[in-house]
Amino acid sequence: MLTVTNLSVAYGAINALDGVSFVVPAGGIVTLIGGNGAGKTTSLRAISGLLRSRGGTITFEGQDITRLPPHEIVARGLSHVPEGRMVFANLTVAENLSMGAWLVRDRAVIAQRQVHVLKLFPRLAERLRQTAGTLSGGEQQMLAVGRALMGGPKFLMLDEPSLGLAPRLVGELFEKITTINRTEGVTVLLVEQNARLALAVSSYAHVLECGRIVMSGPSTELASDPRLKAAYLGG
Amino acid sequence: MRILRRPHSLPPFFLLLALGAFAQDTIKVGEVASLTGKEASFGQSSHKGTLLAIEHLNTAGGVLGKKFDLVTEDNQSKAGESATAARKLLSRDKVVALLGEVASSRSLEIAPVAQAAKIPMISPASTNSTVTETGSYIFRVCFIDPFQGTVMAKFALKRGWKKVATLISVSSAYSVGLGKYFKETYTTGGGALAAERTYVESDKDFKAQLTAIKAAGVDAIFVPGYYNECALISKQARELGLTVPLFGGDGWESTALLEIGGTAVEGVFFSTHYSSEDAAPAVQAFVQAFKTRWNGETPDAMAALGYDSALVLADAMKRAGTADAVKLRDALAATKDFPGVTGKTSIDAQRNATKAAAIFTVKNGKFAFVESIAP
Amino acid sequence: MTEFLQQLVNGLALGAIYALIALGYTMVYGILRFINFAHSEVFMVGALIAWKLGQYLPHSTLWGGLVALVAAMTGCAVLGVTIERLVYRPLRGTATLNVLITAIGVSLLLQSVLQHPAVFGATPQPFPELFPVINFTLGGLTASSSQLVVIVVAALLIVVLQLVAFRTRMGRAMRAIALNPAAAQLVGVNINVVISFTFALGSALAGAGGVLYALNYPSVEPLMGVMPGLKAFVAAVLGGIGSIPGAALGGLILGTVETLAGGSAALSTYKDAIAFAVLIIILLCRPAGLLGRPVAEKV
Repeated sequence: MLTVTNLSVAYGAINALDGVSFVVPAGGIVTLIGGNGAGKTTSLRAISGLLRSRGGTITFEGQDITRLPPHEIVARGLSHVPEGRMVFANLTVAENLSMGAWLVRDRAVIAQRQVHVLKLFPRLAERLRQTAGTLSGGEQQMLAVGRALMGGPKFLMLDEPSLGLAPRLVGELFEKITTINRTEGVTVLLVEQNARLALAVSSYAHVLECGRIVMSGPSTELASDPRLKAAYLGG
Repeated sequence: MRILRRPHSLPPFFLLLALGAFAQDTIKVGEVASLTGKEASFGQSSHKGTLLAIEHLNTAGGVLGKKFDLVTEDNQSKAGESATAARKLLSRDKVVALLGEVASSRSLEIAPVAQAAKIPMISPASTNSTVTETGSYIFRVCFIDPFQGTVMAKFALKRGWKKVATLISVSSAYSVGLGKYFKETYTTGGGALAAERTYVESDKDFKAQLTAIKAAGVDAIFVPGYYNECALISKQARELGLTVPLFGGDGWESTALLEIGGTAVEGVFFSTHYSSEDAAPAVQAFVQAFKTRWNGETPDAMAALGYDSALVLADAMKRAGTADAVKLRDALAATKDFPGVTGKTSIDAQRNATKAAAIFTVKNGKFAFVESIAP
Repeated sequence: MTEFLQQLVNGLALGAIYALIALGYTMVYGILRFINFAHSEVFMVGALIAWKLGQYLPHSTLWGGLVALVAAMTGCAVLGVTIERLVYRPLRGTATLNVLITAIGVSLLLQSVLQHPAVFGATPQPFPELFPVINFTLGGLTASSSQLVVIVVAALLIVVLQLVAFRTRMGRAMRAIALNPAAAQLVGVNINVVISFTFALGSALAGAGGVLYALNYPSVEPLMGVMPGLKAFVAAVLGGIGSIPGAALGGLILGTVETLAGGSAALSTYKDAIAFAVLIIILLCRPAGLLGRPVAEKV
């Protein structure tokens, strides 16, 4: 569904991504794991159009989206839940959700999606009139995912969804992600520092180090790889 | 390569020499004027007068067997530009004398440059007394602020205005000077200053000051400013329902005052240097010549002073018998009763001219002569 | 007392113009986090457009005045969008300082081009009375129709702007970008369209400000934007930059303080200094401005 070929991104003179290639098949959950500064977030930002790539191509459903601006990429059904959630802090939960459906013009569809999102995240329903800035970290993360779902994406990119969440909430959130993937057929590209968790929910994984993919394979295989265990899974 | 290149660099060098020799045949006179910008109307007038005088002098055969060449630099009416312009005229054009500026603030920029270079400078119309105090090479052909301020104070007292307000531009040496001497004579003569307000050069809104003046209840308002702001002040005064007369100095005299001010400037009074309605043959000849030269335009005071400034310079050069700066300066200082279009010009020990002032008013959208006040 | 009330009327009219210009500064800052220093020249161009049209339109009529006002607003909107498209957009994403210096460059360029004798020239020109001029008197208080036009038009435009910001799709997009540009793009907001719209709106208001200013102080020239632009910038900071009601409030406070200082004998020379002193005092007490929200600068 998404094919990244030889993608390179630079911040000034520093290469953040250096010839990264991978494929995300329709219906799957693929994860990118790696340490700080490995290039995981950069990959997602380049795919969603927030960053300009210096080389390489990105195709989505067979069409080249490498040079498209972010709003056109979203319009094709590729949604990005950024690192740090980036909810609109001064807007209410309801307003945040309606911002998520920015490109949807049909009010009936918007209403239907909101019901759906609130069913998935019942806690947001209790907080609809509250401004997003006053929510807890876990609630903000749910709002960020919910906002992305309001656009009716075919493909969801999640950047560090577990960051700063209590372990109980992390489990709950990953359950929801699996649900979204299984029952709604949304393809997921997941970036996680928590490699153990990421490998548990995904079917295929790539390991990034210093802007290059150093290891790839089915998640179950990688989970038992001794090198990976030593580096990311804490022995 | 070096040898090959050499012949190429020679011709321009010879050309420069030839040009230098050619330049010796004329006497270069520099002029710094506000041809554009806020006080462009003044600069244009004085420039047209000066140029006409130079043309008259050249037609009459020039001075010392040479013709004059007037080199003019525009300072855009901006502070800080005049000194640069003067330096350019001195170093690039090697002028023997500088004419200009109209505005005192800008003449005060040129004066130190001329004094340092020991090149005579004649201001046509800067009336602030400090201009010529800069040094022994700085002259003027107009009366000075103490005189103008005094004249307007006498005028106010004569009109029976017992209580007046002043509105002075603190960023203008001219305005402050006029205000000071007005106050001295007016209060000594028994008048009361009911309100004193100030503004700065770039101001457009005077309603605050005028509201306060209105509350003070005065017979007239003395505004020694330049025509642009004076027109706005008049307009805003009328808008606030202030109907008392406004009066000021020669800074008011410009047709732009009538254009911007419209009906609001009807009945204002101001002092100036000459009247184009003066019946003296010399004045009428000048008015006719000016009209012929400049599309029927009637010369105002700035034009007449510009004209006289060049004539006074030529007269001194004739008497000195040379364009040499030191002798020219001495001849200028010795000028006595030179008959110009703005009256007889005598240069006093402070290098100022003493002459009579004319009072004008605005009537039916035109300037009208009221009376003449002698020194 | 009458004098004080009269000064308040004067201050209100002056402050309304500052407010109109300040809105442009504040909207652009809210979205792009930089000060568009060319804004004061857009204001000046607005006045010059109306001046030019004044040569063809009948004077002292309501429709003639409105035509000039709308034309100046449209012209300025086009100018603002063009400046953004040609100059600021290619620099987007580079250091804020670069954009800031470029903005000053654009400002000087516009001044210089208009000072060329073939375009306008440096000499001030009288501005025609486009709207009917009537003086209103009420118990010793006087207000000219041009003062009233300023207050009414400014109030109307500020209300319209508030409606645009809070009741329209474009307004929601503007607020979303102001809050978080990346998140706004990720939900599908076309940031370029919104930025162009912001420049168009801000510049149109500056154009209206220019016309209203020229109606009250009827002498126009290419440097006329410098001082009002600076004051409006102060007003925007005073009210809390990025805040629309803040800009309006800042403009009114500045106009009033300046007028009250200008009317007093001891202070009239220092009225500009006093206006800036007020700014400093308010910023010392409330660093984010009167209605601004304290936000940590993003690195």
